[in-house]
Amino acid sequence: MKARLKTRSIVAAVSAASVALIGFVAVPAHADTRSTVVAIESNTFTSYNNITPDTNIVINGDVQYLTGFPMFYYDDKLNIVPNPKLATWKITKNTASDFEVTYTIAPGRVWSDGVPITAADLLLWHVTTSSDYSKAAGLGDPSSSAGSAFNSVNYGGVYDSHIAGIPTISDNGMSITFKYDSQIPDYLLNGPALEPMPAHTLVELAAGKTSLGSVADGTAANAKFISDVTSKNTKDLLALGKIWSNSYNFTTVDSSTNPLLLVNNGAYKVKSIDSNQITLVASPTYNSGPALSGITTLVIKQGIADGSPSAQALANGDADVYQGQPTADAVAQLKAIQTAKVVTSSSLAFEHIELRVASSGSDTYTGPFAWSGGQKAADLRKAFLLAYPRADIVSKLIAPINPNAVVLSSVINLPGNPEYDHSASVNGMAAFNRGSQADRTAQALRLVKKWYPTAGNGNTPISINLLWGSPGNTRRTSEAALIIAAEAQAGFKVTAPATAGWGGKLTATQYDAHFFIFDQTANPQDAQACGIFQAGGGSNYTGINDPDINKYCDALQKTSLPQATINRYRILIEQAVAKDAFFLGIFQNPEVTAYNSALQNVVPAPLSPSLFWNFWTWHF
Amino acid sequence: MIAYISRRIAAMFVILFGSSFLIYNAAAYAGDPTEGLRSSTNPQVHQKLIALIRELHLNVPPPARYFIWLKGIGKVFTGHIDLGLTRDHSPVSTAISNAIPITIRLILLSFILAVIFGLGIGIVSALRQYSRFDYAMTFFAFLMYSLPIFWVAVLLKEYLAISFNNFLLNGKIAPLWILSASAVSGFFWAAVISGSRKRVFSIFGFATAATALFLTYLSLSKWFTHPGLGPIMMFILGLGFAVAVTYLSTGIGNKAALRSSVTVVVIGLVLYFPVEYFLKRYANLLTILIMALITVAIATGVPYYFTKIDRRPVIRTSIITSIFVGILFIIDKLMKTWVPYINTDAIHQRPIPTISEANSLLPSGNFWFSSLDTVVHLVLPTIALILITMAGYVRYSRGTMLEVMNQDYIRTARAKGLSERTVIMRHAFRNTLIPITTILVVDFASIMSGAIITENVFAWHGMGTLFNQAVHNQDLNLLMGVFLFTASLVILANLAADLLYSALDPRIRVVGKK
Repeated sequence: MKARLKTRSIVAAVSAASVALIGFVAVPAHADTRSTVVAIESNTFTSYNNITPDTNIVINGDVQYLTGFPMFYYDDKLNIVPNPKLATWKITKNTASDFEVTYTIAPGRVWSDGVPITAADLLLWHVTTSSDYSKAAGLGDPSSSAGSAFNSVNYGGVYDSHIAGIPTISDNGMSITFKYDSQIPDYLLNGPALEPMPAHTLVELAAGKTSLGSVADGTAANAKFISDVTSKNTKDLLALGKIWSNSYNFTTVDSSTNPLLLVNNGAYKVKSIDSNQITLVASPTYNSGPALSGITTLVIKQGIADGSPSAQALANGDADVYQGQPTADAVAQLKAIQTAKVVTSSSLAFEHIELRVASSGSDTYTGPFAWSGGQKAADLRKAFLLAYPRADIVSKLIAPINPNAVVLSSVINLPGNPEYDHSASVNGMAAFNRGSQADRTAQALRLVKKWYPTAGNGNTPISINLLWGSPGNTRRTSEAALIIAAEAQAGFKVTAPATAGWGGKLTATQYDAHFFIFDQTANPQDAQACGIFQAGGGSNYTGINDPDINKYCDALQKTSLPQATINRYRILIEQAVAKDAFFLGIFQNPEVTAYNSALQNVVPAPLSPSLFWNFWTWHF
Repeated sequence: MIAYISRRIAAMFVILFGSSFLIYNAAAYAGDPTEGLRSSTNPQVHQKLIALIRELHLNVPPPARYFIWLKGIGKVFTGHIDLGLTRDHSPVSTAISNAIPITIRLILLSFILAVIFGLGIGIVSALRQYSRFDYAMTFFAFLMYSLPIFWVAVLLKEYLAISFNNFLLNGKIAPLWILSASAVSGFFWAAVISGSRKRVFSIFGFATAATALFLTYLSLSKWFTHPGLGPIMMFILGLGFAVAVTYLSTGIGNKAALRSSVTVVVIGLVLYFPVEYFLKRYANLLTILIMALITVAIATGVPYYFTKIDRRPVIRTSIITSIFVGILFIIDKLMKTWVPYINTDAIHQRPIPTISEANSLLPSGNFWFSSLDTVVHLVLPTIALILITMAGYVRYSRGTMLEVMNQDYIRTARAKGLSERTVIMRHAFRNTLIPITTILVVDFASIMSGAIITENVFAWHGMGTLFNQAVHNQDLNLLMGVFLFTASLVILANLAADLLYSALDPRIRVVGKK
């Protein structure tokens, strides 16, 4: 017994020693908690104002999110999370012709130069979003070829068409009331947000200042801003517009950068930007949102190519976090890294096939799928969609990247949305998913044979022009090959060459069908689907004009509705789409996030700023 | 001469006009800048489209739009060339002028090294035509020539960055590695030196054993985690350089040259500690520059003591030696910086990066840290570029050297009784350089247009990245800016090459008028 104990203790001692030795060898000399995170992005930073048409790209938005904290944000489940630490809001009037929302900034919130955040900063939103104001103040018509002095992407939305007059600021300067001419849906999403810059620094910059002013200067600048806006002082506003539109387009930040350009209210502030990296450090004055959990320096290395350069950077410890849309090979490479965790998820971007039913411009469309073709065209549309190799595309091209990928049965409530399963079961799309692909192709061929009895067995009497994208897109090249082969079995002769400049040809009637990606940028009541399905919608490239769809879309876009009603309308729209047989979702764009497994709380979200949405909870 | 140059310059404008017109239209028709907007379901997409069409003049057909662009370029005659704005609203000229130094930093060192190694190997394999070395190098050159650089980059990153950084955690070389590395070195030297079978075997054995011993020493002494040269190692290396340089430059028989260059090494080593102090105390580029000047001055002075006649080749020899010694000092200082460098928070024990040009997290203001940082970031892309570009120079210099060696004047030189070294270095080598120089000039200009793939995989943001970005974003102004710069550079380099050729080779004349 004693001897056994002794052997055991020797074994224990030896193993403990060897573990200690391995630990000593494997762990770098200083294993204290790191406070620096290095992220990599494939794009490069172009502007500190991400809401102009040319600078509205992901990396600019990420930097803005990290250095400027919003009044609300999307979480990873697509819920809108309010941030009462910065501001609160309530509906102050709600009648058929009068809808008012009052926003109140919490007292004591400050910009990084110490100047309090006030209602003036939300008034700036109105200046850059209301076309009526832009015209009335002599800043130019945003929809004309000359544009507005504030070159903003916000013009032309729900806010723009429903806002009534200039918002009014309370006496203490902390509340601001926005008055709309009718109830608007998603009043939060469509309503004001803090801009990438405060109002007072714009005024200071316009005055030619090159260093941070005092709090008193800032307060005076705010007062001047409010009076300029309310009195429509064209000359001063034009000067502000010039700065707003141009001065923030810098790609380097160093000691010579005017510090006024970098004033923001976020958890981090910009320390330096060069062609390699954006270096952000914790902002000492930050009090607009939740506190950081330990990461005091955040570096974004920019312009790092997707695929093996990113994977190897992660493997070598050059980076801690990576998110991208790599190929299957690169995913395998990421998974092989022992020190990294890999999460595959889906963004709110989905590949789809759509069939032209009518012209969307001046030319007329009379192809095989035309609405005017009656039952024959309806059968052909249905046959084309039935024979479309969606399952094949997903299993061959997407599953290697995201093993959980499914063939989409709803594009309004995408997978991940709690309503997806219910939608998929009742929206009628199941008709295109039933049985095996062989069954569906056989069914498609029966439909085609009704009108072309000789179809099948290599005979392809119906010619289809399919538009899809430029030659560089390898995934779509593979998709096109699969489609041509699969549709031939149902009697369709698909011509689908790669087309440079395909975007501009979406409205051309020479194409009978297109497949490409739709990228959702927010999740309002209509899930941005009405732009695709409604007559005259901004993304309606099929020419569809279905009175039912138009009716439901009107309802979703008119007023704020309870969730149950929203869900009902969403399903009704998709049922109409399925009945018309002109549109099918194929797959959700796979997204891969890989990160240093020592880093905690990295949870990708479907909407931008996907990777960073909860950055303040990150820690090692 | 002036007539000739002005004619060429005039032709340049015509070529630039024609080619820019073609490129502009090809690029404009090939892509669609509104593509990204089409796939957005954002309801305000229509508004964005209007803004984009307004800014990029998309409502003007490309051939006419070209002249809008040309109007800005035309201001070159008033001295204010306007290359326009990129799609993200920064001036194209700024983007290009930011990218040029980065590209130069990336390619300069690799270009110089590729030329030195390429010429060296090519000439030696020409002298040892049809030997094992020749075959080995021919094989190697074609192998490198055919490798895609992105793949070379992946391999380099895997072995020289990821694995090497892992290895550095303890710095001990595994016995198997020592054995295989020694064997490779044995084969290499046996092939290079060549000779009878017995000699080959003994060279193989000697080289293998020496390498094995050397690596074992490095491994046991923890040299990789605490690298450095130290005065003794520097003295040995310096002497080696002195002898080799003397041999190639003047022949070992020139006693004055040998003595001068050895003296230069000795002076350098005597000054080891003061030099070190200055490099540490006044760490900046100016110090290095001043010290380089002093070094060259000393190296120029020393031969005056050893010889009174025919000083030029002796001075040349001692200057070349002194440059080597100077480089040794810099390397020694960088190696001494190594340990504190890899222990910084920013590096956290993994010094060889796979991406970027520099690390922004390093404590700023430390000259040697930032120098070493530049060096470690240059390691992988430089090796990749050398491997890829060297192959061409090996083949070219081998061919030229062979041709030169068959010329009558080489036979004449030998018949005069000149030593083989003099025949090769003075008569053959110099004549080999003539056609190669002209190639190098044009080559350098075309590399300036950007090592597109190299920059992409190593995440350097030079001309190649700009070009890549321009193509990806359908950024016509940027694309044309890059094109204009590189096209002018290539045309001017061609002109320079022609002038250089006529300057180097008296048989060639440039003619203004026929």
